[in-house]
Amino acid sequence: MDMIEFKNVSKVYDDDTAALKDIDLTIKKGEFLFLVGPSGSGKSTFIKLLIKEIKETKGSIFIAGRNICKLKSSRIPQLRRNIGCVFQDFKLLPNKTVFENVAFALEVIGRPGYEIKLQVPQVLKLVGLHNKDQSYPHQLSGGEQQRVSIARAFVNRPPILLADEPTGNLDPATSDGIMKILSRINLIGTTVVMATHDRNIVNSMRRRVVELEEGELIRDQKRGVYGD
Amino acid sequence: MVRPRYFFSETFTSLKRNFLMGFTAITTVAITLFIVGFFAILVFDIQGIINSIKGQVELAVYLEDNISTELKEYIEEEIKSWEETDELKFISKEQALERFKEQNQGSDILKEIQGNPLPASFEITLKDPEKVDQVALRFVDKDGNYIEGVDDVIYGRNYVRRLFSITAIVGTIAILIIIVLLLATIVLIFNTIRLSIYARRKEIEVMKLVGATNWFVRIPFLFEGFFEGFTGSILSVILLYLLSSLLLVKGESVILETMRVKELAILGSGNMIFYIYGGIVILGGFIGLLSSAIALRRYVKV
Ligand SMILES: Nc1ncnc2c1ncn2[C@@H]1O[C@H](COP(=O)(O)OP(=O)(O)OP(=O)(O)O)[C@@H](O)[C@H]1O
Ligand SMILES: [Mg+2]
Repeated sequence: MDMIEFKNVSKVYDDDTAALKDIDLTIKKGEFLFLVGPSGSGKSTFIKLLIKEIKETKGSIFIAGRNICKLKSSRIPQLRRNIGCVFQDFKLLPNKTVFENVAFALEVIGRPGYEIKLQVPQVLKLVGLHNKDQSYPHQLSGGEQQRVSIARAFVNRPPILLADEPTGNLDPATSDGIMKILSRINLIGTTVVMATHDRNIVNSMRRRVVELEEGELIRDQKRGVYGD
Repeated sequence: MVRPRYFFSETFTSLKRNFLMGFTAITTVAITLFIVGFFAILVFDIQGIINSIKGQVELAVYLEDNISTELKEYIEEEIKSWEETDELKFISKEQALERFKEQNQGSDILKEIQGNPLPASFEITLKDPEKVDQVALRFVDKDGNYIEGVDDVIYGRNYVRRLFSITAIVGTIAILIIIVLLLATIVLIFNTIRLSIYARRKEIEVMKLVGATNWFVRIPFLFEGFFEGFTGSILSVILLYLLSSLLLVKGESVILETMRVKELAILGSGNMIFYIYGGIVILGGFIGLLSSAIALRRYVKV
């Protein structure tokens, strides 16, 4: 089954920057995909389109067979709850503790309190932040904030996980830990799309690699590597 | 999806953590509504004084000494039948003398009075004192003379006219002041709450990106706005209470003693002060809620 499908999708920003050009791509359920390419090639744009943070200029995007371009605005929250997203700039809530930030993803879908108390510490332990659950984002290092963002993205076990450079601020050891977590999430059937610059990670994982360059899809390779 | 636990704890913690913004909003509400309340008391008292002065305007119709009982009774019935008449009192010659003696107790004048030089009279209080001119004219015939049996009609024409034009001006000014104050208050409170929501627009954006519905984001902000408006208005009521019980009540008791004014905000029989307090609290909560609602319309969009 196709989980994500891009049909002829282009994105031109208000200032006429063409960030994506005629992208055609299908991602199957349960796939693990690396989105690579130099800075400014359109990786974040690709991810933002999927959660409708921005709107495509042309083309259609399907998620689980549904055209999300035609989604009513009242259905957008529903879409976002089914897509965990690790944002490149983390997007943590500054006035909430680590615990509350992660719990928020469960609050919005109406999970009961006892479940939140059970799940959040588990997930925080997974990303190695169980000792900092009462800290506020500004009290954390960049890498720690990134791990909170990761924990929040998958605490509600969404069918799709998007990760925009989730290892960007992490040392190799922690990065490996995060990749193990993402692999594990992928193993239970979650479709994972990860934008990254990290050559070592891509090369060691040997998963599908899609390469963008100036908004164009220039390579789509099964069990690929980072590139030259 | 009803989640009172989340919304309450969210509102509470958010108030705690955005303390400075909330504090600003609450003090803004408290101070502005305090001023509005203070003016409301002032305007009400001034209006009360004006009304009581107006109420004191009455017509005295002095009767000729030799008036026949029939004519006296006929005039009495006439006056009673007019719809402008509120109260009618007949003062006989004896009562007039009695009253004169009472008012001038111990004065030398009393010794000089022989017999009873005072006329009998009708004292008319009008429902609408501004009609006093009209009513007085009814005691005058076509030729400009007083009708039979009536010796004189007295009501201080110029004084009444001036009084009414002054009270009209004072009333208009007072209402204008209250309206302007209210508008300023609403704008000020609205801006404060809007700013506090504007300051958190990124937060709102993030909540939405994580899948929160509009209402999920809105409700805690609405609670917060209501709470700020409500708390601020309670504070202003406390301030007003202190001011009125320490200061205003003294002024009012002087007015009460010297002018016998019935309609006073604090000491009056209508308990107006409680309506003012209640109005302030309702207004505060309402403006808080409404301000958040309007501000959210701007910042909480998909
Ligand atoms: N909001 C925006 N308005 C205008 N142009 C934008 C906007 N966001 C991104 N762009 C431009 O679109 C292009 C693609 O940006 P995008 O963020 O998708 O790149 P990226 O591949 O994620 O880069 P990086 O690896 O540095 O994160 C860039 O040229 C960028 O300058
Ligand atoms: Mg990017």
